[in-house]
Amino acid sequence: MNQVVEVSNLTHDYGEVVALRDLDLAVPPGITGLVGANGAGKTTMLRILLGLLHPTEGSVNVLGHDPEAEPLEVRARVGYMPEVGSLPLDQTAADFVAYTAELAGLPPREAKRRSSETLFLVGLEEERFRYLGDFSTGMRQRVKLAQAIVHDPDLVLLDEPASGLDPEGREQMLDLIKRLGQFDINVIVSSHVLPDIERTCDWVVMLDAGNLLRSAPLKGFEKDSTVLAEVLERPEELAAMIRQRGIEAVVDGLRVVVGPGEGLEDAIVGAAARLGTGLVRMTRGSASLEELFLVNGGKA
Amino acid sequence: MTEGVIYDRGYRTYEGPRRGPAGARRAVYKEGLRRVFGLGRKARAKIFPWSMMVIGVMTAIVIVGLHFAIGQAVGDAAPVELPRYADLFDAYSFISLIFIAYAAPQLLIPDRTNGVLSVYFSRPLTVNGYLGAKTLAYASVVGALYIVPQVLLHLGLGMISRDGFFSHMTDNLDILWKVPVTTLGFVAMHGALAFFFSSFVKRPGIASASFLGTILGANIVADQFARVDFPGSRFLTLIAPDQHPRIIRDFLFDRQGFFPATEAGFDAWVSAIVIAVFTALAAWFVHSRYRRLA
Repeated sequence: MNQVVEVSNLTHDYGEVVALRDLDLAVPPGITGLVGANGAGKTTMLRILLGLLHPTEGSVNVLGHDPEAEPLEVRARVGYMPEVGSLPLDQTAADFVAYTAELAGLPPREAKRRSSETLFLVGLEEERFRYLGDFSTGMRQRVKLAQAIVHDPDLVLLDEPASGLDPEGREQMLDLIKRLGQFDINVIVSSHVLPDIERTCDWVVMLDAGNLLRSAPLKGFEKDSTVLAEVLERPEELAAMIRQRGIEAVVDGLRVVVGPGEGLEDAIVGAAARLGTGLVRMTRGSASLEELFLVNGGKA
Repeated sequence: MTEGVIYDRGYRTYEGPRRGPAGARRAVYKEGLRRVFGLGRKARAKIFPWSMMVIGVMTAIVIVGLHFAIGQAVGDAAPVELPRYADLFDAYSFISLIFIAYAAPQLLIPDRTNGVLSVYFSRPLTVNGYLGAKTLAYASVVGALYIVPQVLLHLGLGMISRDGFFSHMTDNLDILWKVPVTTLGFVAMHGALAFFFSSFVKRPGIASASFLGTILGANIVADQFARVDFPGSRFLTLIAPDQHPRIIRDFLFDRQGFFPATEAGFDAWVSAIVIAVFTALAAWFVHSRYRRLA
C-alpha cells in the first residue's frame, strides 16, 4: 500500500451547496492534517472516506478499497472519532469501548481485553468503570479516541479531536495523537486550529470552501520561507506595492506575511521606503502553517 | 524492599479473528437486551423492566395457584371457568403494553439523542443490520414477556392435572404453536407502532405516551365507527391496532370475542393482513428515517 487515501476529481454537493470541488490528492502513511475553516468541507471529506456519503463525482480509494463499493471493508479497518456527542452517558467507559470493539467484529472476550488496554493507553485505566455521564470533557474526548483505536485500525479519522478542551487537555490530546503515529497507525486529523496540526502532523491537506489549496508534507512548508514584516502604519498599501512585483503578501493586522519567493527583504524595504512607513521588525524563517494558509488564500 | 517498576504497556496490535458485519449485528442485539434490562446501567434503570417481568411471571403463578386451590376445594364443579392460555394474554395485556411502551424507545432513542449513531455506522454495520438487530432484541424481550408466563402456566397446569403431567402435555400439543403465533401477532402489531414513534420522537416519555395514546385512542374511535353506518365506515373499524392480535388469538383458540372489526364482519385473516400491512409500513418509515441518519 503506497498511499493511505487517494482521491481523484472528487466533487460532492448538497444540492446548491458544493462542499468539495474537483479534488485530487494522495495522502501518504503517517499523520496527516486536514486543515480548513468551519465549512471548508473537512467533515464531508471524512464521511466520504468512511463511505457514509457518496461522491457526486470522482473516485476515492481508502486502504486499497473503494468506500462507495466496499464500505464495510473500509470501515472494518478504519476508526472514526466524530467531533460532537457520540457517547452514551449511561454506560461505563469500559462497556462502551468494548461494545465499539465488538461492532468492529472483535469477539466479546477480545473486545473487553482491548477495551481495558486502550483505556489504559489514553490514561483512563482508573476511571474505566465510571459512567460516561460523570466524565469531564477532556476524559470524554479520550474515550472517543479510545473507541476509534480499540479495534486496531489501519487508519484513524479524527474530527476536531481537541475541540472544547482546555489548554492542558489539548496538550494531552495532541500528545496522544502523536503517539498513534509512533504505533504505526495512520491518522487523518481534521482541525481548524492550525498550531495543533503543526504540532502533530507530517503531511498537510488544506481545504478552503471545498477547494484544495495545498497537499504537501509539513517539512516542505518549511522550504517555503516567507518574511514577516511588521510596520507602524499602512500595511495594506505596503502589501499592495509588494504584490505589484509579483510577490504574495497577506495582511494580518499591522503584520504583512510576504512570500514565498526570492528577494523578499529588498522588496519589503523598498516598498516601506517609498511609502515612508516605519518598519518595526522583519523576520525571515519558516512560515507558520497559519501564514501559509493565509498566503494560499484560505480564511483561517 | 521490593522496588516497584512501572511499565508502559504501549499499544498492541490485534491479529485475532474479526467477525465482520455478523459480529456487529450480534453486538447490537446483545447491547439492545442489556439496555432494555438496564444491565451495565445504574440501579434505577433496572427497576422498571425487571418489575414488569416479575409481574408477568407472578400473573401466571397466581393463575396456576387458582387452578390448584379451586381444584382442591370444589373439583370440576368450579362456579366459573378459570383463565387458561388464551386468557393469560388478556391477564397481562396492560403489563405488556406498558413494557413495550418502555422497551421500544429504549432500544432506539438513546442512540440517536446521544449522537452515537455516527460511531456505530463508522463500523462494518449497515442500517439494515442495525435495525434488524434492534428488532430482534425487541422481539426477544417482548416475546419472552409473553412466552415465559405461558410456559409456566403450561408446566403448572401439567403438574396439578388429575390426568397426570404427561397426559396434560400430550392433550395440549396445539398450545405449542397457538401461543407462539398469537405472541407473534402481538409482538409485530405493537412493535410496529412503538418503533414508528420511537424513530421520530426524541424523548422516550413522549414516544411511550404516543404509543399508548394511539393504542387506546384508536380503540375508542374504531368502536364508534362500528356503531355508525355510512359508506366506508366498516373499513374504518380496522384502525384499532390492538384488536387484531386478539382477533387472531380468538380464532386460534376457538373463542368468540367482540371487537369493532369483528362487529363490522371482518375475520381473523383480515386482521392478519392488517398486521402485515402495519408492520411493513412501519418498517419502511423507520428504515427511511435511519437511512437519512446514517
